[in-house]
Amino acid sequence: MKTFAKYKTHLTAALIVTAICFTSCEKFLDTDRQGAYTEEDYPYPENSSAYDLHVFGVYNDLRAYSVHTDAFINATSIRSDDADKGSTAEDGGADVIGMDNFPVLTTSGRANALWTGFYGMITKANNAIDEIEKAEPAQPNEHLKQQALAEVRFLRGYSYFMLVRLFGNIPLIDRRFDDPAQQSNVKQSSPDAIYSFLEEDLTFAAANLPLSWDSKFAGRVTSGAANGILAKVYLTQKKWSAALGAANQVIGSGQYDLSTSYSKIFGEDGENSKESVFEVQATASPSIPQNNGTQYASIQGVRGENDWNLGWGWNVPSDMLEAAYEVGDPRKERTILYASTASDKSYSIHNELMPIYPGGVPNPRYNHKILSNPSLRRSINRGSWWMNIRILRYADVILMAAEAANELGQTEEARTALNSIRERARREALAGTLPDIASNNQTELRTHIRHERRIELAMEHDRFFDLVRWGIAEKTMHDAGKKNFKAGRDELLPIPQTQIDLSKGVLIQNNNY
Amino acid sequence: MKKILTLLLILAAYFIPTYAQVKTISGVVKDNTSLSPIAGVTVSDKQGKSTQTDATGSFSIETDETGQLTFRYVGYKSQTLPVANLTELHVFLSSQDEALEEIVVVGYGTQRKIDLTGAITSVKGSEIQNMPNVNPLSSLQGKVAGLTISNSGDPGSAPTVRIRGVNSTNSAGPLYVVDGVLHDNIDFLNPGDIESMDILRDPSSIAIYGLRGANGVIAITLKKAARGQTTINLASSIGFNRVIDKINVTNAEGFKELYNRQLANLNAKSFDYTNYTADTDWQDLIMRNGFSTNNNLSISNSGEKSSTHFSIGYNKQNGVVKNGDYERFTARLHQDLKINDRFRIGGDITGMHWNKTPTVISFTNALWSAPIVPVQYDQNTFYSMPSFQRTQVGNPMATLSRMDGKSLPKGYRFVANAFAEWEIINNLKLRSTVYTDLGFNNSKSYGPLPFHFINLGEHDSPTSTTYDKTVYTSVSQSADEFTRFQQDHTLTYEGTIDNDHRFTAMAGFTTVYNHNTFLKADRRDTTINIPNQEAYWYINVSNENNPGTYSGRGEKNSVVGAFARINYAYQDKYLINATIRRDGSSKFAKSNRWGTFGSVGVGWVLSSEEFFKPIEDINFLKLRAAWGKIGNSNGIADNIYQPGLTNANTAIFGDNVYTAVQAEYIPDPNLRWEVVRGIDLGVELRALRNRLNAEINLYDRTTTDMLTQLPIPNDTRNYFTNLGKITNKGIEVSLGWNDFIGQDFSYAISGNYSYNENKVNSVGDHTNFQIIGNGGANLTETGRSIGYFYGYKQIGIYQSLEQMENMAVMEGSLPGDITYADINGDGKITTADRTYLGTPFPPHNFGLSINLAYKNFDFLIEGQGVAGNHIYAQRRTANFATLNYESNRLDAWTGPGSTNIEPILDNSRGNNYLFSSHYLEPGDFFRIRTLQLGYTFDTNLFHNKVKKARLYISGQNLKTWSKVTGYSPEAPISNIIGGGADNGIYPLPATYTFGFNLLF
Repeated sequence: MKTFAKYKTHLTAALIVTAICFTSCEKFLDTDRQGAYTEEDYPYPENSSAYDLHVFGVYNDLRAYSVHTDAFINATSIRSDDADKGSTAEDGGADVIGMDNFPVLTTSGRANALWTGFYGMITKANNAIDEIEKAEPAQPNEHLKQQALAEVRFLRGYSYFMLVRLFGNIPLIDRRFDDPAQQSNVKQSSPDAIYSFLEEDLTFAAANLPLSWDSKFAGRVTSGAANGILAKVYLTQKKWSAALGAANQVIGSGQYDLSTSYSKIFGEDGENSKESVFEVQATASPSIPQNNGTQYASIQGVRGENDWNLGWGWNVPSDMLEAAYEVGDPRKERTILYASTASDKSYSIHNELMPIYPGGVPNPRYNHKILSNPSLRRSINRGSWWMNIRILRYADVILMAAEAANELGQTEEARTALNSIRERARREALAGTLPDIASNNQTELRTHIRHERRIELAMEHDRFFDLVRWGIAEKTMHDAGKKNFKAGRDELLPIPQTQIDLSKGVLIQNNNY
Repeated sequence: MKKILTLLLILAAYFIPTYAQVKTISGVVKDNTSLSPIAGVTVSDKQGKSTQTDATGSFSIETDETGQLTFRYVGYKSQTLPVANLTELHVFLSSQDEALEEIVVVGYGTQRKIDLTGAITSVKGSEIQNMPNVNPLSSLQGKVAGLTISNSGDPGSAPTVRIRGVNSTNSAGPLYVVDGVLHDNIDFLNPGDIESMDILRDPSSIAIYGLRGANGVIAITLKKAARGQTTINLASSIGFNRVIDKINVTNAEGFKELYNRQLANLNAKSFDYTNYTADTDWQDLIMRNGFSTNNNLSISNSGEKSSTHFSIGYNKQNGVVKNGDYERFTARLHQDLKINDRFRIGGDITGMHWNKTPTVISFTNALWSAPIVPVQYDQNTFYSMPSFQRTQVGNPMATLSRMDGKSLPKGYRFVANAFAEWEIINNLKLRSTVYTDLGFNNSKSYGPLPFHFINLGEHDSPTSTTYDKTVYTSVSQSADEFTRFQQDHTLTYEGTIDNDHRFTAMAGFTTVYNHNTFLKADRRDTTINIPNQEAYWYINVSNENNPGTYSGRGEKNSVVGAFARINYAYQDKYLINATIRRDGSSKFAKSNRWGTFGSVGVGWVLSSEEFFKPIEDINFLKLRAAWGKIGNSNGIADNIYQPGLTNANTAIFGDNVYTAVQAEYIPDPNLRWEVVRGIDLGVELRALRNRLNAEINLYDRTTTDMLTQLPIPNDTRNYFTNLGKITNKGIEVSLGWNDFIGQDFSYAISGNYSYNENKVNSVGDHTNFQIIGNGGANLTETGRSIGYFYGYKQIGIYQSLEQMENMAVMEGSLPGDITYADINGDGKITTADRTYLGTPFPPHNFGLSINLAYKNFDFLIEGQGVAGNHIYAQRRTANFATLNYESNRLDAWTGPGSTNIEPILDNSRGNNYLFSSHYLEPGDFFRIRTLQLGYTFDTNLFHNKVKKARLYISGQNLKTWSKVTGYSPEAPISNIIGGGADNGIYPLPATYTFGFNLLF
């Protein structure tokens, strides 16, 4: 019994030691994140508002692979009659061949990429809005706050505009969810509901964004960009007068003009020119050749050997597009990059001798608009990740104004706008090419405007959406040899099967898929 | 008083005349592991008569019929056996080494196996030592019921280990405890240093490890000096490895035929083969016969006051894919010092150094490359792939020649501990141990200039030679540091009361602290060419104005735990073990970081009951049952309960770069332990004079609050949260038999079988969702097994449009496409027709081992296999370019009636690439894992200077019966929610070895 008492003392001592330790244990268990910040401890720089850093995070996604590169090019251009998949016949497999020739697979990785890419940007925007609302900067500035919210809401509105045109019925994620899991079960909204939501975002953006930014913020979104996208939103819904109003806001802003020659717009030296309304910004350096850029140009790059191994060779101008140009239109050469043939030499805009088709390259034509400067290719790499993506050009805005005006019966105004585009194009052509359109007949003008849109904006990602909103997608596709295109199905991408599976059936597949 | 009584009884026995009849008993004594005879064993009876066994282990002794014989030998456990009715007696002695088998590691202590109430299986070091595997875990394959090992042939890589199925969507690997230190891997161990490995499987056995043990524990005891001996042990083997099951791909002729067919089906222009006349077997070119060697030298000495064990080891393994290899040097010193009767100190230090030549070429590259391309023109000029795969597939031999040996990773690891043990009063011991595990890995590498490439002319384009001028030489360096500090303090009391009550009580306290750092940098020299010599491969060889990047990061986490355990046995018949543990983890927020876990186990040794005594055929029978509750926080990153920011994103305006911040992941501030609860029922039996042994376990284990990465449909960021419930139920059966036939021949047969049934009871209580893996091929949802295969079921091939009119058809399908089963019977094939197609995790595991010994020869055959799972031959679904075909495509559909299995050659037919049973192969296999023939020399051959000398030849993975078309039927199960996919698994080679063991 004595021994028991003795070790009871020992046990008590041990327990006390343990108890002491447990208090200090809490400290031992408070390990910090290593080499990374949390929302509580981020040292926001003094001269930068807490808003900017979150806004910039949303901008980052504009360059993301799933947002504006592979899947984007497939869905907006390869699906249209103006472009073919390119490369070798079997390259890219069923996923890409489906984009070119329909139907798009419900399991398409590219459809899913667009979904996750644009929703990812929306989620970031929702988070940024939440951060901006609750931020407590040292010197509160209501104007800067509204401006920051406007930037983010522009990017969110733009994302929804892409999604609603790509997928139709989509869930509306309008805020940061307290319980993230609840996002899994948001049902789809009708396109009308989506449109009214995104119009609100873009209208707010147009009202609160500046007309322009200091040159160190070249390409940052402006009220011009918001009004320009808004014009397209209205045009898509056939809200002609609203579309004309929004387009005229841009035209009347004094920020843009048609002074940049067509041949200059698309190269490095044409970035953020007077033509640029909304342009995804990218840059690269020998040290960081990819992270600050996009793979956009590389995917469409000439698929040749060595110096001409510029990329995958996808999204090549089709026979139909080539045939659509008027005689002598200089825009053709700037849009279509021809391969040499055994008998004929062809040169790029940078005066490079093109490889031979067939053999040297698998396609006779490539997208000339994305061709980068060879000196940068040598100093950085052939991937051309620095090439900006022109989402909205001033010419597009003018043509939207022309289209809306024409539909409203203001044919004279429409014709003038249209001819201003032709005038700029023929500056680089022989005299007599691309004469002014003289007709004031609404139907004829409609045809002319549609033709001009196709040519001026060729390979610039609007053709497929244009065909759908004009209601001529099926006929045009069938004429172009894409016989699998089925009206009532192929205007929209399938809701990605992965997303339907993840939602466990809450999401409903689009018609006829 | 008792002592006096006993003495009187013995005296009485001495004087009482014996009436029993005297007879002669003869027999042989052998080692129960090696089955080799033991010379010099003392055989004695109760009357004190004794003899010794001769060189062949034989003995003969006269004794009375009712008596018993005792067998004693230095280094072996004594055994006493009754001789009733026998004239011949064959005895297996277990070595002192093996006496360890009777003692198993139970966490912060040991326990007699007989007292266990949970499922723990021990594997002896001697069973592992002579296997040609660098990683000792590889040798456990097929040896233990309930343990699934998936090996990889990649030099230096660790196998995937699963104990009793998969408990969590998040982590499934067990915890390794090496002489008390907690590890995630045991890469630093030389198999020759291992005394025993205990596989702790049931919740009651692992509850004491509370914090990390939920997926099971493999406790490893390293060798220490045996008392009173000085021994030198040398074990060495050399061998070579060879791939015996290659993947069948088409040669040039087959390729041309199939590509022509494909282009015709696509209505595309045919390919111009004029200049492509080669017939290259790329697979053959990248493979080789690899050399391997395993060596271990140990010296141990033990005296009154101190014991020392020292060992050094060297292992090297050449990969079967050029020119990867791995070599490892190990050294270990264990020292024990007895200061006085009550105080003991000691320590152990293991140092390890590895060098690796990484495999630079992927199998898929070799499998995909068109066989029509020649390899190279001269040393610096290779042929490039044809236009149809130039961008996606490089010349494998060019890659191999250019990158081989240009990356030189190496590492050092030191694992050490020091302990002090103080017996405060009799039977009350205080033991304090501090441990450290330090790892330092670094590498340097070189990016050489490219080769010249010959582009063979196609159509109008002439053959040209090109050289990529935009590639510059570059160098990179990396340095990583891993540190772990652990301390354990335990107070243990062992006591007996009146000989009937035996108990051990233990209480303790532990902390673990991990801190890792990672650093790397690279630089590309755009002005000069850095030479292709190792001496130049440091960052500073290139001026700092050259482009380069650098990065660094860190990790830190800690765990604190307090625990107590009581083991109680009444008359060695009734057993109770109970454990409690309270743990805190830095991975969770203050309010959620603490958890309390525990277990209770009971056992009943029936064979010790009086009423059981008459049943002589059964030597030992125990029933046991246990319940336990454990926490798990494995597999989640540090601090993710906090709202972490990342500044990796940037906004670009013009050419200006602006740093952005944003949430790195979605934090769940309420993140907490996942909890595993389970019961285990077991029966252990030894019968027929201990020749038969059997063990059966039943278990049922449930994980709740599973830590899961919940996929948010509209967000690509990670979101870890607690949800869901998953159950594993199973049975494990182990059987063994050993016996003699005549004097010279003895044998042992053992087998084990286990079955595990996995079921997801719920994923998310509030949310309607499922977890998808591997792009939708695997699904985790309520009511099914975790990560099961989910897709369409192939029932044939559509032969003609007429036929299709009367069949369920998928939108877009044409003749030549796969016919899928209309599961829901709605007359068309839609996504609703996807169904359960099987599981990637083998539910059935089995192993078999036969040991034969004849005179000085010994022979071992081990077989092992799994059943019930499927493997997804995902490598066959690649269709992003024209790739070389696997030979099954030679049977592709060409017209009505041609085949009902292989669809048409047309990669624009997307419906044929949907995940379906077409790409699933039965994962069942049986393999001759080991075949070993050994010869042990009579020690008198060496004038007794050598205690033991054994030579052996051995083969591993010699023959596999399997339907899998890939390199290895080993189930690729490391991915939990997207397992079972074969995207070019590293081949598991056959290994042929010669080796010897010498004991001085």
